[in-house]
Amino acid sequence: MINLIPSLPRTTAALDAERTRLEVIAQNIANSNTTRGIDGRPYQRQQVVFETALQQAQAKDCNSATSPQPQVSRIQKDSRPGPTIYQPGHPDADANGMVQLPNVNIYEEMADMIVASRTYDANVAVFKNGRAMAMQALSIGKH
Amino acid sequence: MIDALFNQPGYLGAKRMLDATVKRHEAIAANIANAETPHYKRVDLAPSFRAELQSALASQNAGQLASLRPQLAADPQALPVNRDGNTVNLEHELVELGQNTLQHAVETQLVNASLLKLRMAITGKSS
Repeated sequence: MINLIPSLPRTTAALDAERTRLEVIAQNIANSNTTRGIDGRPYQRQQVVFETALQQAQAKDCNSATSPQPQVSRIQKDSRPGPTIYQPGHPDADANGMVQLPNVNIYEEMADMIVASRTYDANVAVFKNGRAMAMQALSIGKH
Repeated sequence: MIDALFNQPGYLGAKRMLDATVKRHEAIAANIANAETPHYKRVDLAPSFRAELQSALASQNAGQLASLRPQLAADPQALPVNRDGNTVNLEHELVELGQNTLQHAVETQLVNASLLKLRMAITGKSS
């Protein structure tokens, strides 16, 4: 297969990583009020960790060291404690009537979501520009 | 012998510029892809390429022009935009991306015009 758009693998990796990030944010927002998870404890916020992966296939390319691919290395739990509220009637309240809420901050998640979707858009723009360039290159020699 | 047709400095120069633009697109794509990667340093065309292309064009040396290969290098002048040490400025990269695509269009026209001139010389017809 001819590589018509040289930037494609990296852009795809970035789109993939940003989508994973968006999915994790969606999960956090969906569980922002979950006081009892699978382990019986309040839901803990998840966060993605990005890192770069040097692709073996590009190792022969002399420029490989300077053009790494982004990828999600792991999804880790945020260990910050969540807020506690006084609500004696709640099924998950302790002896003092305090309920431990998840450590999800909805404003933080919304801000993260906007960053993730803007970055996604930027990568889509890269793909569109790459495609336009490939089409221009194909028109060489036409008259 | 037929090689001489495609060894004019103008045509070779346009080809090398086209190579450089494609390489630059790759660099910008890598930068935007890694806009959120901690400690990533933005890359761009190595600054020496412009000087090498200019000197090769000035000397009209076909061999020197043909051997030019644009390379990418980390941009030493880029400053970190936030505390994670990443030096990619998304707006800046998107502007560069648009400019680079336009430049690619111009250079394809240049290459195309050179080829059309050759065709005209061979066939004697203008189209």
